[in-house]
Amino acid sequence: MKNNQMIPKRKKSVGQILNTPKVAGYVFILPFIIGFLAFMAVPMILSLGFSFTRYNILKSPVFIGLENYKTMFTADPKFWKVFGVTMYYVLFSVPLRLIMALAVAMLLVKSTKLSGFYRAVYYLPSIIGSSVAVAILWKRMFASDGVVNALLKIIGLPSDLAWLGRADTAIWTLIILAIWQFGSSMLIFLSGLKQIPVSLYEAATVDGANGIQRFFKITIPMLTPTIFFNLINQLINGFMAFTQSYIITQGKPRDTTLFYTVYMYQNSFTYNKLGYGCAMAWFMVFVVGMLTLVLFKTQKKWVHYEAEG
Amino acid sequence: MKKRILATTLAAILAASSLAACGSKTEPTETTKADTATTQAATTAATADTTAASGGKVSLSLCWWGNQTRNDVTKKAVDLYMSKNPNVDIKVEFTDWSGYWDKLSAMAAGGNLPDIIQMDYSYLNQYQKSGQLADLSEFMSSGVIDTTKIPESIIKSGQVDGKAYAISLGSNAPMMVYDKAVVEKAGVTIPDQLTMDQLYDISKTINEKTGVKTLYDGGINMMQIMARANGSHLFDELTTGKEDSIKIYFNSIEKFAKSDASISADLLAEKNPDVVETKPIIDGTTWNDLSLSNQFISISKTAGRELGITMFPTLTDAKAQPLYLKPSMFFSIAETSKNKEEAAKFVDWFTNSAECNDILLAERGIPINTEVADAIKPKADATAQTVFDYVAKVTQIATPIDAPDPSGKGEVEALGKTVSEAVRYGDATADDAVGQFVPEAKKILEEAAK
Repeated sequence: MKNNQMIPKRKKSVGQILNTPKVAGYVFILPFIIGFLAFMAVPMILSLGFSFTRYNILKSPVFIGLENYKTMFTADPKFWKVFGVTMYYVLFSVPLRLIMALAVAMLLVKSTKLSGFYRAVYYLPSIIGSSVAVAILWKRMFASDGVVNALLKIIGLPSDLAWLGRADTAIWTLIILAIWQFGSSMLIFLSGLKQIPVSLYEAATVDGANGIQRFFKITIPMLTPTIFFNLINQLINGFMAFTQSYIITQGKPRDTTLFYTVYMYQNSFTYNKLGYGCAMAWFMVFVVGMLTLVLFKTQKKWVHYEAEG
Repeated sequence: MKKRILATTLAAILAASSLAACGSKTEPTETTKADTATTQAATTAATADTTAASGGKVSLSLCWWGNQTRNDVTKKAVDLYMSKNPNVDIKVEFTDWSGYWDKLSAMAAGGNLPDIIQMDYSYLNQYQKSGQLADLSEFMSSGVIDTTKIPESIIKSGQVDGKAYAISLGSNAPMMVYDKAVVEKAGVTIPDQLTMDQLYDISKTINEKTGVKTLYDGGINMMQIMARANGSHLFDELTTGKEDSIKIYFNSIEKFAKSDASISADLLAEKNPDVVETKPIIDGTTWNDLSLSNQFISISKTAGRELGITMFPTLTDAKAQPLYLKPSMFFSIAETSKNKEEAAKFVDWFTNSAECNDILLAERGIPINTEVADAIKPKADATAQTVFDYVAKVTQIATPIDAPDPSGKGEVEALGKTVSEAVRYGDATADDAVGQFVPEAKKILEEAAK
């Protein structure tokens, strides 16, 4: 019997192997695994290696130990400047975007005939918001002869401001653009809101809680896992922002809108200091990693998961 | 069950084909090229000749950056060359400016640069120093590349350490563009070449009469020109930490920045004069712009007004004429090329043949062969004629161009922009700016030279 079974098994061996659930699973995720290894893992390891070298792409890299990191921390004032600019941007754009997202989600949570339409409309900026076309549109809107100044003129406010040319306003045009792209966070908030049991609100209403009390005592605590998720996501997104700074302001005026990623790009490809660029990239990985870690550590203090009661 | 097998096989095929697709974009041609390049790295032009003579088809690759017009005319010219030289097969590749240099450095790293490379003055030094470019001097002395109708100064512009590594494809000169209508309305006349002091005076008059502002910062080009007018060279000064010419530059920026007649720092930052479409002269914010002559045609077209062209301003007590002819771009031949002589023959045809330049029509700048330039001039339109005349005028007085920019130029340029912005916004005095710029620039250049 055994021998009899062996022979047909050999004939179908490829089919048989592919047919085992384990192998089938791996085969299905193979495209992703290969993509991940070839386009993420290997380049990342290479870039870690390059970060310890002087590498101008044309000549082969020269190992210089921690020199790039030393230059970064001690001898490149612009590095700390762009780091500060990026922190400022993240610090304002992320919370404001989340507040905006939550506010709109609260408005859209009630199902009406048009709510699907509105959801789609408000989600749109998230898809197109980081595109070059929108960046150019933004640049035109905030130009001294642009739409924003024209609107200000109509309502009688000072309207000759060069938004993009002033150190105190230029970064805010980028932050406003970031806030406008609240759509994906909003969708996540929406689904979070829908999962809050109606019975909680009913009980609170019976006990005489008003809308504000219900919002702070029920909605916010029940929503903390969603807020946490959005916060981490948006934080990482915020540090990765590139197009806005690269297209709209090119870092002007006076490097007040020069994002970390843009300076990294300039170092790598414009100044041909690829080793230094790689070192900058790894410092960013470290910073984002640490921030995420800190957020996860504080999680216990403010994030309520229903299962834990 | 059969379904599952089918699905997994399909997924596997998909994975395999996606891999193959990734590979086929770059791999096959490049690996073969790289292989042949390494095995035949030592091959001389002489053996390449024998392969050509023995009847085998010579294959050349040609890369350039450019716009649609350039792509069209260059492909047409290449086709003509191939029809006249049936033993030569030229493969062309083109892309835009920024993508071009990423691509080229990756190709250089892999040891498979194209045989004929369109090169820029600011990258020439870097590529030559890392041994990527072939010495063209021997082809010039043997007459493969005919240089008899080409001015000596233009040949020199492609030289590093006395040897030619690149040949110019057209000439360019720094210029100031001005709005003819505004100048007429203000009742001023623009001389052939202003001094910065005259520009300052004229800017006051124009602002009083018309309210139009003046652009006064020409970035690193301007630094270079002021150093030249001061009898020196920018990068010579910066590598030794000298401050003389930089002081003149920042003092001029400070003087103009304080004047009401100049474009404000806010507006200048918003407009971005580095890009033709957003230059402040385009929408009439300023009446002038500082640039290079091959941009005149596109600036005129974008502005849609009649513009005039005059020489880039100099200093009142200039020690030397600062204007120079600049090669708008070059052809170089890769050191790894196995058909250098055939490549050189094409380069010769491209520069010296009237029929080729009839197709190209000075799109890369005024042809360097003076006879060819005269021959195609009547075929160009009025705006292009203005550029022809201007370059001819500058040729009379031009002094030799600075040596090719050292590595680190890009970063020095960015530093210069940031520091002069500080002066424009009034956050730094000219003296502060000099004190910051010179030592930092020196440090950048030292780092880059390593």
